[in-house]
Amino acid sequence: MSRFIYLLFAAAFLFCSCTSDDNNPGVGENIIVPVTYSFERNGVSTVDFSGQTTRLLMGEELGDALKDPARTLGELRAMYGHQAGNADFGNADLNASDKNLKSKTAASADYYTANAAEQAEVRADFENWIEAQVTEVYPNWNNLATPGQAGQLADGTSTRYVDARGLEMDQLVLKGMLGAVMTDQALNNYLSEQVLDAGSNRADQEAGVPEAGKSYATMEHKWDEAYGYVYGLNADPANPNQDLGADEFLNKYVGRVESDPDFSGIAEDLFQAFKLGRAALVGGDYELRDEQAELIREKISEIIGIRAVYYLIAAKTELEKPEPSFGTVFHDLSEAYGFIYSLQFTRKPDAAAPYFSRAEVGMFLDDLMDDGPNGLWDVEPLTLEELAGSIASRFEFTVSQAGS
Amino acid sequence: MKKSILLLLVLAATLYACSSGSTDPDGAGNGPGGNEVRFDRSAMLANWADNIILPSYNAFLSSHANLSAAMQTFRANPTLENLVGLRESWRASYKSWQRVDLFEIGPAEEVGLRLQVNTYPADVALIESHVAGGSYDLDLPSNRDSKGFPALDYLLNGLGADDAEILQKFMDEPAYAAYAADLIDDIGARVSGVVSVWNNGYRDSFVAADGATATASVDRYVNDFIFYYERFLRAGKLGIPLGVFTGTPAPETLESYYLEGLANELFLEGLDAVRDFFNGRHFGSTTQGESLASYLRALNTVKGGEALDARINAQFNAARTLVSGLGSFQSEILMNNPPIDMLQAYDEVQAAVPLLKVDMVSAMSISIDFVDADGD
Repeated sequence: MSRFIYLLFAAAFLFCSCTSDDNNPGVGENIIVPVTYSFERNGVSTVDFSGQTTRLLMGEELGDALKDPARTLGELRAMYGHQAGNADFGNADLNASDKNLKSKTAASADYYTANAAEQAEVRADFENWIEAQVTEVYPNWNNLATPGQAGQLADGTSTRYVDARGLEMDQLVLKGMLGAVMTDQALNNYLSEQVLDAGSNRADQEAGVPEAGKSYATMEHKWDEAYGYVYGLNADPANPNQDLGADEFLNKYVGRVESDPDFSGIAEDLFQAFKLGRAALVGGDYELRDEQAELIREKISEIIGIRAVYYLIAAKTELEKPEPSFGTVFHDLSEAYGFIYSLQFTRKPDAAAPYFSRAEVGMFLDDLMDDGPNGLWDVEPLTLEELAGSIASRFEFTVSQAGS
Repeated sequence: MKKSILLLLVLAATLYACSSGSTDPDGAGNGPGGNEVRFDRSAMLANWADNIILPSYNAFLSSHANLSAAMQTFRANPTLENLVGLRESWRASYKSWQRVDLFEIGPAEEVGLRLQVNTYPADVALIESHVAGGSYDLDLPSNRDSKGFPALDYLLNGLGADDAEILQKFMDEPAYAAYAADLIDDIGARVSGVVSVWNNGYRDSFVAADGATATASVDRYVNDFIFYYERFLRAGKLGIPLGVFTGTPAPETLESYYLEGLANELFLEGLDAVRDFFNGRHFGSTTQGESLASYLRALNTVKGGEALDARINAQFNAARTLVSGLGSFQSEILMNNPPIDMLQAYDEVQAAVPLLKVDMVSAMSISIDFVDADGD
């Protein structure tokens, strides 16, 4: 940037800091933070995240379909990589949509634009899990699972369907998607400075120039798309903490972590950060906007880390009982597997990097599966404890906080 | 109190920067050390026009003349040997096209030359219907995927399983050769039209618009250049066939799909054209003139402790090395799931994008006028 432009920014910045000196520190006078997530221009709402709602619904249907052994591999693949107009879903709106989950898997601007090789590996993981469900688990739907043999196991009143190593493929797909689609898109794409500030976004936002045929300017819409990946299925998305658990992805686990007294308040903090960041964006305070983006990144990453540790410790507790229920242990560890997998899509504060790289995640998952020849059937409590400790060590929470 | 003094200083400095900018008609930026940097944008534009763009167009027209001649020879005497000769001329001209494809500015931009000459994949059903019907309007936008080099690819390489079959098709149905000849004429007429505008005034107005505004030649063409690199070289030739954006590989979208292996050569030729343009290298020579690279050197732009122009060249070379090591793009995509080697090569190609689109343009104070749309 030339010195001239730099100085203009500096001068503009100083004007801003002068005018806001007399007010609350942090929030300038032209920043209006509403009570709910409602933003309007000229009386018309500028909030729209229908694309995210669509993908959340596609994920829900795919999750249900994975538990139906009458489905074919072709049908499940078509749901994952849906093409507009194909009757892949029960919901006609989804069938008509030109959106799909696959193209948004490991597809963030910050992490994958220059990393197509790793992106393809992540997508291949999902394809492989879906395929294993059809070729390995479905044929053994009505067999009892034993070490090295896919089939079903009781988990309390529920029945779990696992592969030969004890893993539930549907859990891997759902929890993996929570990371590879929802978290990666929200934290590393839509909250990314390079996406928010692309092209003429700042000028358009400040002048209130809407996208063609839309009520919103591009920058505010990007922010709302991040929001939609967390709250896109809530009954009142402007006031989402009333019914957390509205989807099987991030929304559900914001609620779960909130209900642990060690983390109570996290749901409100997350919602306030989204709201304040959006208000700051509208008010032209990009520094405040980006601070909120960092906060959101930290909270959502933490939720993934907490749930990974939670399920590892839950499984360990069950495994240490005199007569452990393998169905319970395997279900917890299938959840844990998905959350550990999703750590590679998290985002450390003030860094363009996840808490754990794909390579580190791969080592964790290998450790989880390699205590013996039959995967989870052979896993030792000590392995689970060590994994939980390694994961918690990079976060601000402890194993005992997360594990209760 | 302190703050207002500082503010005054900043404002004064801003005014100073404004006035010093206005004594700088070439629109060069200032160096980071605070020294006034003089870079002659006009000399760079002249080097681009006279030593790179026009010679590249002229070389293309000469390769095209060979293609036309080979077509005539084949029509007069449709033998296996003449089919092979025609194909070789087509291949040489297609490679030569890669040396001008990046110059979609001015008259080329006005007529949409790139899409007129090289829209792929070709629509085979549409081509067949034109051949069978014998009547078609090659000026229609809807016919762009039934003509140009990709349609010739289908006709010369895809009409049969081997050369004998292809030759037989041409002998049985003379309409195929007539259509191919029309396509070659269409390419020639369009490119000649563009060159003629360059030679009759556009060159001078291009070089004369040597300021530093969004409508000046350097600002405009740098945008077009980066757009070409990102959308056509990176995405069109590699990313889309690899399925980078959809997750589903689409080898049928490869450039020159019907002649296995040519897509690799065309990509490398395009990359070389980009690199040579960046360095201001005269067409067909090792001489270098004023260029984006010399501009960056004049601005003393450094990235990570290394001169930015050297860094960009190193990135082009790294990309070239990885792509050169690949098997035919067809085989890479069809035999590997996922095609990791080719994806890694793609990543090296992509790695130059931020260097050009962020670091280079900010050093030159050029705004990027296009953004990615992600469709949500």
